[in-house]
Amino acid sequence: MEAAGKAPSPTASEADVPQLTEHLFRQESGKLVSVLTGIFGADRLQMAEDVVQEALVRAMQTWPYQGVPKNPAAWLMQTAKHLALDLVRREKRFHEKQPEIIAQVEGQAGDAEDPPSLDGEIKDDRLRLMFTCCHPLIPPDSQAALSLKTLCGLGTTEIAAAFLTTEAAIAKRLTRARQRIQEQKIPFEIPCGPELASRLDGVRQTLLLLFNEGYKASSGETLVREDICAEAIRLTTLLAEHPAGNQPRTHALLALMLLNGARLPARVDSDGNILRLKEQNRSLWNREMIARGIMHLGRSAAGDELSEYHLHAGIAACHDTAADDASTDWRQILALYDRLAAMDDSPVIALNRAVAVANVHGPAQGLKAVQAISGRAELSSYYLLYAVLGEFESQLDNDLVAASHFHRAAQLADLKSEQAFLAQRLRDCEERLKSQPTPARGCL
Amino acid sequence: MNSTSEKSDYLLLFRGADWHRGLSPDEIQKTMTVWMAWFNRLIEEGRCKGGQSLGPDSKVVSGKMKNVVDGPYAEAKESVAGYFLLTVGSLEEAAEIAQECPTLSYGTTVEVRPLLARCAASEMAAKPALVHA
Repeated sequence: MEAAGKAPSPTASEADVPQLTEHLFRQESGKLVSVLTGIFGADRLQMAEDVVQEALVRAMQTWPYQGVPKNPAAWLMQTAKHLALDLVRREKRFHEKQPEIIAQVEGQAGDAEDPPSLDGEIKDDRLRLMFTCCHPLIPPDSQAALSLKTLCGLGTTEIAAAFLTTEAAIAKRLTRARQRIQEQKIPFEIPCGPELASRLDGVRQTLLLLFNEGYKASSGETLVREDICAEAIRLTTLLAEHPAGNQPRTHALLALMLLNGARLPARVDSDGNILRLKEQNRSLWNREMIARGIMHLGRSAAGDELSEYHLHAGIAACHDTAADDASTDWRQILALYDRLAAMDDSPVIALNRAVAVANVHGPAQGLKAVQAISGRAELSSYYLLYAVLGEFESQLDNDLVAASHFHRAAQLADLKSEQAFLAQRLRDCEERLKSQPTPARGCL
Repeated sequence: MNSTSEKSDYLLLFRGADWHRGLSPDEIQKTMTVWMAWFNRLIEEGRCKGGQSLGPDSKVVSGKMKNVVDGPYAEAKESVAGYFLLTVGSLEEAAEIAQECPTLSYGTTVEVRPLLARCAASEMAAKPALVHA
């Protein structure tokens, strides 16, 4: 009969076919690269990445016709390991280590449908790769790009979009990072002893940098940026759950990410316009992330150390737990900023503190706090300085001065959504100026 | 003798085996999902009878001496990467289906070819009495 020409295996159109989870390939890719780097060695990271790419392509070429396997992740792992073994057998440079590698891989490889429980080993490998990617001998921006590429399974195009740079620039950073790993013989291992503490600090710094890249602003690439935040949270969770990284400071970092990330869905309106905290629809805040954040904030209090992560997480918790803008505990936020400013003399922190000052003591005091920032010159081309000044002046009804600040801020802002927001603030000032009978104050 | 009698078989040959090198895992997954949905729809509509991808390794055999050499024979962008077997009303309809190929923008080219032998064979199978008449 005619139907005999149809593929004999069940096709994906049948109801029992498992639906692929979103980003499954991305997430599995991160695991696979970690495991294969364990097999090939950190100096052959590129080889591991290539093999993983090939395994994903094999899935793309066969699943449409054979249907999605029962356990897609195990299928990918199995295929990647087979491809890796083929490569090890073919390549002369593996000759010496060949029997050892084959034994190792075959020892692990189970039935694709019923994989042995390798979760712990995979997590170890992922953490090893995290320490490799975040090694201090690799420049920080390369660390971040390499982590996204290898640990998180993002492509160069996606990383470039998130970092607002070109694909070529990202490719360059990745190449530089891989070269460093080879030249410096950066190992694939979780450091131990006294080295662990300092290396952990480095890993956490890179994870925060990643999160900030995703968080700092919303652009046309909103989705990619939220993805970066999600990836940073995923990696930090991995670190916090692993014995090597399970420390109060890691939990504080994770709390910081969750408590700030929870507000992302409310940060722009449906047209992509930026909304300020007081304008946001708080019901859009992610309650689950807030709950997880508060939980990790609790675990971060286990020791007696108070890191900057703790303070930043505490500030985010104040916002997240306020029922509405009016009931925000700005005094507590100011107290946290005071301690933060004592630890870190960054002018950006001082600028944020000035916003808290204005909310507690009024815009005039806020202006004074800005004027008192010691490293203010460093902020001279930072758009948020002018945005904050404009806000204070506008609250003080100095619309002419406010307008010039918003104008400057809009000129300095990188992102269209920020420029649009500031342009709107500028128009608001100009409207109010027009409706005022006499511009009595000679501000200019 | 039935509604499929006016239909004939066509092969869609997908060419281009190296377009996916630079794709991210996310893009690979999306492409696969779209491709799967396309294939399944054609199967359900009864317009496609099967399909497959072709593996990268190949041997090329030629000449009086029956020489065997390792492929691929063509350049990666020209080599056949997979096929669909269609049963549709016309070459034009087959070409319309080819236009739906989800990876055209990545550089895949689709060649549409009618299968001749099958028509003859099925006619013979449908009219066995004539042969012995």
